[in-house]
Amino acid sequence: MYKIKLQDFEGPLDLLLFFIKRDELDIYDIPISKITREFMEYLHLLEQLDLEIAGDFILMAATLMQIKVKMLLPKEIDEKGEEIDPRAELVKALLEYKRYKEMSEEFSYLESNMRHYHFRSNFDEDEKQAPNDLNVLLKNVTLYDLIKAFKKAIIEKPAEPVHEIKKWNVTIDEQMEYISQKLDGGKQISFIELMKDLASKIRIVVTFIAMLEMVKAGKIGLRESKSLNDFIIYGFANG
Amino acid sequence: MDNIYISVVEALIFAADDPLSSNEIITAIKAIDGNDISITEEEIEQTVDDLNERYSQNGNAFKILKIANGYIYATKPDHAKYVGFLSTEKSKRRLSQAALETLAIIAYKQPLTKPELESIRGVNSDYTINTLLEKNLITIQGRAETVGRPLLYCTTDEFLKYFGLKNITDLPKPREIEEIMKDEDFIEQKRRIMMSGIEETIENEVENNNDNEPEIEIEDESTPE
Repeated sequence: MYKIKLQDFEGPLDLLLFFIKRDELDIYDIPISKITREFMEYLHLLEQLDLEIAGDFILMAATLMQIKVKMLLPKEIDEKGEEIDPRAELVKALLEYKRYKEMSEEFSYLESNMRHYHFRSNFDEDEKQAPNDLNVLLKNVTLYDLIKAFKKAIIEKPAEPVHEIKKWNVTIDEQMEYISQKLDGGKQISFIELMKDLASKIRIVVTFIAMLEMVKAGKIGLRESKSLNDFIIYGFANG
Repeated sequence: MDNIYISVVEALIFAADDPLSSNEIITAIKAIDGNDISITEEEIEQTVDDLNERYSQNGNAFKILKIANGYIYATKPDHAKYVGFLSTEKSKRRLSQAALETLAIIAYKQPLTKPELESIRGVNSDYTINTLLEKNLITIQGRAETVGRPLLYCTTDEFLKYFGLKNITDLPKPREIEEIMKDEDFIEQKRRIMMSGIEETIENEVENNNDNEPEIEIEDESTPE
């Protein structure tokens, strides 16, 4: 089994060129079914890999299959009365790509060449510099000055706002249980009374939600109260 | 051109950070000594040749390169090992195959849009384009007049400098398609012959630099780990 690494190919065209070269195929007379099969095999290898790259390959696979189908059909005729080779477009693309691929090798050669030349001020961004003399680094600055400046910077820094996140040990289920207890034995209770004993805001919120849940579940009922902004909670016998 | 300007040309090129064009040299000289000074681009080129001749006779470690539409001093390849030791950053990094391919296409087809580039390469090239833009090897020239007004990319002077090209017409000549077909393996063989010597020296350099990685660092867009 021939194993190929993905990084060896810059794309589907590169891969096709590889097949053509490896099997010494005639680029002007590509055996489409053979190359499509090989291409698909490679695609299966790619399946687990990067989708975007695979996307380009899938497009090529579709193109190959389209060409394969067209090869089976009667040849189309162009306006000059000549047969149109369904592969012509692909061959053109391959040749064009091949041309620039070769040029990139020339560029690679030029690049290697230029690596032997070094321009002036080449060391600008380098870290391998001789450390400067201490007198140059600290011009008329004493250790004491540094400490003073540092302290000043620390003190003058505005206090950062601190956000504290607390975990509330209260759940809707607990509060539903709490409401049930209050109504135990057919008692009624006003909403304000129910909330009266609750220590914190979050507990009130959760209890309120618990109450709504119980109403929804049909376990308790609410009715109008005489006092303003209040109502009476009552339990059902079976609840 | 008066002989006193030989050292003026030398000084100007020496002091410049980037390749200095003959136009800039002429402008500087005329600005100081008046417009009636007779000095031409050809004379400057001749002066540079003479200077290089002199450097070579004296066994100097540097010479003036004619690249990126101008002149710039560079140390000779013989000393690359030593100079490269101090500038590890630059000697290690090389362009990836994807970047070289993209650059080649842009160089010959410029100005061109991303869709045009991608239709030749057959792959998405966002990452490569961004890398090349970051390295200042290509730049955005404007927008095409076609639908959607896509951006047009072209190469920069930095590109010429990077590859040691004199100007954009100095690009290696792409072969005609018919020619490519005649000798399928020609380039491959030629490349192997050319590269084997070079790769060796580079590897030695890298080893001399106490580099831990035996392989030259290559950026690659298409290598998901």
